[in-house]
Amino acid sequence: MELSIIVPLYNEEASVAPLYDAIVNAVQPLNIKFEILFVDDGSTDNTVPEAVKLAGKDERLRIIKFRRNYGQTPAMAAGIDHARGNILVTMDGDLQNDPGDIPNFLHKLQEGYDIVVGWRHKRQDKLITRKIPSRIANWLIGKITGVPIKDNGCSLKAYRADVIKNIPLYSEMHRFIPAMTSLAGTRIAEIKVRHHARKFGESKYGLSRIYKVMVDLLAIKTILSFFSRPLIIYAYGAGISAVVGLIALIAGITQYSANQSIVFFSVAFLYTALAIVLFLWGMLGELVYRTGDLKTEHFAQIKSVKDAL
Amino acid sequence: MINNVTDRQIELSVIIPVTERHDPVQQLFHIYKSEIEKLGKTYEIIYVLDGDFPEALEELKKLRVTERLTIITLAKWFGEATALNAAFSNSSGDIILTLPAYQQIEAWEISPLLDALSNCDMVLARRWPRNDSWFNQLQSRIFNSLLRSFSGLQIHDAGCSARAFKRQVINEISIYGDLHRFLPVIAHRQGFRVTEIDAAQCESDTFRRIYAPGLYMRRLLDILTVFFLIKFTKKPLRFFGLVGTSLFGIGAITTLYLVVERLLFDVALGDRPALMLSSLMIILGIQVIAIGLIGEIIIFTHARNLKEYTVDEIIN
Repeated sequence: MELSIIVPLYNEEASVAPLYDAIVNAVQPLNIKFEILFVDDGSTDNTVPEAVKLAGKDERLRIIKFRRNYGQTPAMAAGIDHARGNILVTMDGDLQNDPGDIPNFLHKLQEGYDIVVGWRHKRQDKLITRKIPSRIANWLIGKITGVPIKDNGCSLKAYRADVIKNIPLYSEMHRFIPAMTSLAGTRIAEIKVRHHARKFGESKYGLSRIYKVMVDLLAIKTILSFFSRPLIIYAYGAGISAVVGLIALIAGITQYSANQSIVFFSVAFLYTALAIVLFLWGMLGELVYRTGDLKTEHFAQIKSVKDAL
Repeated sequence: MINNVTDRQIELSVIIPVTERHDPVQQLFHIYKSEIEKLGKTYEIIYVLDGDFPEALEELKKLRVTERLTIITLAKWFGEATALNAAFSNSSGDIILTLPAYQQIEAWEISPLLDALSNCDMVLARRWPRNDSWFNQLQSRIFNSLLRSFSGLQIHDAGCSARAFKRQVINEISIYGDLHRFLPVIAHRQGFRVTEIDAAQCESDTFRRIYAPGLYMRRLLDILTVFFLIKFTKKPLRFFGLVGTSLFGIGAITTLYLVVERLLFDVALGDRPALMLSSLMIILGIQVIAIGLIGEIIIFTHARNLKEYTVDEIIN
């Protein structure tokens, strides 16, 4: 098996059949062995019956059915876990991605890249609720993780299976896959893809994701920093609060004659205490990280496997 | 004795956990048994004693002389969920029916309870209409509406122990301590279909129940535990971040206000306890976020062992 195409589906009854046709039409001419994995994320409409109908005619189509709705990342993770191909392609199930782009991804991988990320350069979505927040999010993700990708939200991506199968995927991590894999020293390429306006159904997310993305970003930053420079995040926090404490202390000393220093001194003590406690939290984090089963060594292992290819 | 069959062919396991509150055992056994016989299924009855109840044990032993039943005794009080677990692992039916060791719903409701299982994975009995005192109904309403709003499962009577479910449910989820009340919530979370049917309440169940204040506290903590378990175990920072940023936000805005007042309007700052309060809030907020980050690191380092999804079936 050379290629696995993973498509999470959630209430996409109208898209299933055209999507299947489009994928087969795009991949068939390449003359490689492939499979299509439809991951049903607990759809409540006719998505599964529609897909089963197709699967009855074509055994290259496999369907993984979730018991309930878990979200896009778990659906992708399930597809990745069950895929048999050496190369994995993930894409959206809403027909906004074009399977016709898949051959370009394969060419890019053949050039020696480990991950190829799609960039929807002419994105067909609403400006205010989709495009602008996504611009800001991509800029932030690039700044904070140090992996500048123009379009993290694009689901159309291609991976070498041995690279992606070792990356833990949970919650809504799929947005950060390039950043995560950068730990393993992967070579990431970005290519332009076509993007179509939605034909069927409606968009499944909106502005409420901003908080989640922000929080995830903070989490990712901390996790990534623990791989390279442990304690750094906590040390920064401790440093800042120590400075604030110092300012309060100085204010207390200068106001000493006016007999108003008690509050300033108390505040100074509080921030100093925070600095100490933050440092201790950082050490606790380090302890947890050292005793956990996913470490830098693990990512180093991925790199060596990849180099052997 | 129609039940002279091997364990493998048992269709229904009836589990009755005996706790502090229990009715005379023999009488209830016969009430339940006569209803279960009517179902026409092969069955087993398992009594599990959560702790030391000498009288109940004595009676059960007497029953055993003439009846087929299994008795499991726990050495000490472990909580009803643990007792249930012990019974689950000693049972073999594909369908499991748990019944309270006291009359809670009328025994003739057992049959519709099991019938409803044909198109879902778990059926709960809801005591409805209720004829308790208003006090019972009020506390039950408060508890259940809290549970509903936290879990998203339309459950109206988590306190009713009469439940029927498929074995698959307990194969996939685990409960412990006092969490047996929340079995439906956890099952629902795991993707099982849970439904509720109305069942007539027993006359003897209607006495007014007033518990010790500590118990109410524990229930509340249980709800919070379940809430956290089902919502945030994979994403601790989503929860801690919410608490932390709001504390931090309030503190930062207040501090800013005080500093601006000091610098621009020359209001004295040194004698204002408000500065201390706002500083404390900032500090608490940062601490909460820091704890959440530790949680994230824990989850990440274990992420390879966490399966976030449950696969119903794979086709092809």
